[in-house]
Amino acid sequence: MAEIRIDNVSKVFGDHVAVNRANLVVEDQEFLVLLGPSGCGKTTLLRAIAGLGMADSGRISIDGRDVTYLRPGERNLSMVFQSYAIFPHMTVRDNIGFGLKMAGEDMKEIGKRVDEAAELLHIEELLERRPSDMSGGQRQRVAVARALAMKAEVLLMDEPLSNLDALLRLEMRAELKRLLQDVKATTIYVTHDQIEALSMGDRIAVMKNGVIQQVDAPSTVYAEPSNRFVGSFIGNPPMNFLEGVVAVSGDDVNVNVGANTITPDPSIARAVAAFDGKPITLGIRAENMHALDGPAADAVEVTVSVVEPLGSQNLLTVDVGGDRMKVATHPTFEVAPDDKLWVQMPTEQIRWIDPDTELVLSPAHDVESVR
Amino acid sequence: MSDPTPRTRKRPLTPYLLIAPTLIFLAAFFAYPMFQGLILAVYDDEAVLPILDEASLEASRVGELPQGAAVNILGQQGNTIDGELTTDLLTEQWFRLSATDVDGSDAEGWAPESRVRVRDEAADGSPIGGTIRPKLGENADPLTPLFAEPNERAEVVAQLEQRAVVTIVDETLLEVWFNVTAVDDDGTEISGWAPSRFIRAFESGEEGRVDRGSDGKFTSRFIEKMFNDRFFGPAWQTTILLMVIIIPLQFILAMAMALVIHARPRGTSGFLYVYSLPMGMSDLAVGILFFSIFTSNGLLNSVLDFLGLVDGTPIYLSADTRYWIIIAIVLAELWRATSIVMVIIVSGLQAIPDETLEAAELFGASYWQRVRYIILPLLKPSLQVALILRTILAFQVFAVVIALGGGEIVTVLSNETYRQYFELRDNNVASAYAVFILVLSLTSSFFYLRTVRTNDAAAQR
Repeated sequence: MAEIRIDNVSKVFGDHVAVNRANLVVEDQEFLVLLGPSGCGKTTLLRAIAGLGMADSGRISIDGRDVTYLRPGERNLSMVFQSYAIFPHMTVRDNIGFGLKMAGEDMKEIGKRVDEAAELLHIEELLERRPSDMSGGQRQRVAVARALAMKAEVLLMDEPLSNLDALLRLEMRAELKRLLQDVKATTIYVTHDQIEALSMGDRIAVMKNGVIQQVDAPSTVYAEPSNRFVGSFIGNPPMNFLEGVVAVSGDDVNVNVGANTITPDPSIARAVAAFDGKPITLGIRAENMHALDGPAADAVEVTVSVVEPLGSQNLLTVDVGGDRMKVATHPTFEVAPDDKLWVQMPTEQIRWIDPDTELVLSPAHDVESVR
Repeated sequence: MSDPTPRTRKRPLTPYLLIAPTLIFLAAFFAYPMFQGLILAVYDDEAVLPILDEASLEASRVGELPQGAAVNILGQQGNTIDGELTTDLLTEQWFRLSATDVDGSDAEGWAPESRVRVRDEAADGSPIGGTIRPKLGENADPLTPLFAEPNERAEVVAQLEQRAVVTIVDETLLEVWFNVTAVDDDGTEISGWAPSRFIRAFESGEEGRVDRGSDGKFTSRFIEKMFNDRFFGPAWQTTILLMVIIIPLQFILAMAMALVIHARPRGTSGFLYVYSLPMGMSDLAVGILFFSIFTSNGLLNSVLDFLGLVDGTPIYLSADTRYWIIIAIVLAELWRATSIVMVIIVSGLQAIPDETLEAAELFGASYWQRVRYIILPLLKPSLQVALILRTILAFQVFAVVIALGGGEIVTVLSNETYRQYFELRDNNVASAYAVFILVLSLTSSFFYLRTVRTNDAAAQR
């Protein structure tokens, strides 16, 4: 049992606030991904959990034990470093067994655990070699094996795949996921790669400028971002954003986007109505739109400017009013630049964003508080 | 259709251009002087004197005598005189002069160099004109004779007034040769001629010995002389003793200093500068500084006296307190040269990635365990460099020893080199000492490189 609880943790470097009042609960045996662009404070937060950089304020507890000011060795956790941090003067065997040796395990137990870890990572034949004549992928495996051999309840990973080439990264991603399912450690995995985050995590915590933006399951983070940043950071292509103006007449709530009018889904209409006469931002993902080659009742007319065939889909860049957006179509959908096109936007797929706070409106959105 | 011309890749010239000056530098400033030094230590250029069958350098050899060999002198002869033996000649330079005789006629003949003051020289430095020197003393004959041959046995062809202006038209060396018999190294009796300047004649004039040879020979004489020198033992022992005491202390201190600098505890930002301050001082200055501390009315005694810890003034740097001199040298050397080791270790520490140390910390290693298992093994290459450098410098320790011990009571190898060269004027033995230091340095460097083997991994990071 190792639940990690982070209460109001802040870390300041000079006048730069790296982590700003972070609150996070990682449940026992959960795989949580800390995702964010570089410089967002995700590694700083991880290091605070590891004890490699003390938090300036707040409290970190693991399994109910306050570890905020404990030394890293006393926290019962292990870690995979971005640069792997393999000890270059030791054999792979000594590297993997290092933590156990420091913990004072007897030689027999160390040997057994090292062999186990090496077997898990398929590096048995590397055990007597030194890291200097090993490839990046092999070093990476050694780093993971070293962390797993500890059998710690908490496993921290700091961008473990970012130093691998693209193909190897893809392969290791799947293997790491399989491995960590069996290990049953509470895992915090830091990455800036949203695909890694979506594919590996039980939950994703998205960070920006030292603030945790949203903590949810990957599908939720993808489909229902809590704010404009999360929508734009996750997904490839990122979420499209269109500017509109709300017009309320009686019970009808409409939003004018350029020359087109879009009617919000009834579930959200009340929240949108609060912006009567004011601008509002619409967010919609490329693959949630349907491109048609003829006019339809609820379709918006657009002009194609770029066509990018990606194999599994064709990605169109289209002009709508003054905005640009990306629309995904079936690869057989034939279209050329400068063609006219009609795009359907299913109203339940549209996210409504307050342009001032950049927060996504929710059906339960308190109308009064927006005013 | 035109054939595409096959392009051959040009060999890049730049590396070769860079190598050339390096080689020239090596040859001119390193290899050549070193070779000369080595030669001095093992080659005696006055080892043997060839004995010739006639009193002329062109004559053929009948044998050779070693330096110091006893000879019987049968007679002597000048090289510019034919045939007969003469006994009252001097080896001297002679000039052929053209001048006006005392009777007013033009004359030409030979006079020894001692009678002529050279006043005019050609571009190549050879004398071309001068005046006759006046003779001193009341009864001296004021006239200077010119001889038909360049020796005083020859016929006088003219007499010159003192201060007469002369033109020098030729010069030659009148050299006196001894006819000698002696027994050479092989026990064979040899008899022949040798120039008198190489032979020291005893008072009787009939016996003598070979003063110095004119031909060189490889010899171990100088090295033997060095080993048998009464200062060699003390010098060598003291050098090793200082090394054995100083180097371990120095490495412990330097390591501690480097770890402090690397860990950057609060308030230590200036430590690196403070620690490396002694590097800016010359070793002689440090020696004098420590002399001023340990001298009988120096800083140490002043402080002890002020604290009331001593009666009178204890004397530290004297022949009776040799150990105090050693202690003072050790302290001075520690103070002076530890920072060099520290700087090397600090640079080695900076090459260890932070993440490596963090990983060790995270996997439960305490500070001392990190030093023991991570830092020291990764510092191996730096420690090796520092050890080689320090050992070589330890063999060369000099100025501090001179300043604190005066070079008599406590002596070291380089001091003996200095003494042999400047005080005893024995280039060869000085050279032998220098070569001995070189051999020690090379041996120790080689030893360190072999035993403190750096593994590739540690060198790579």
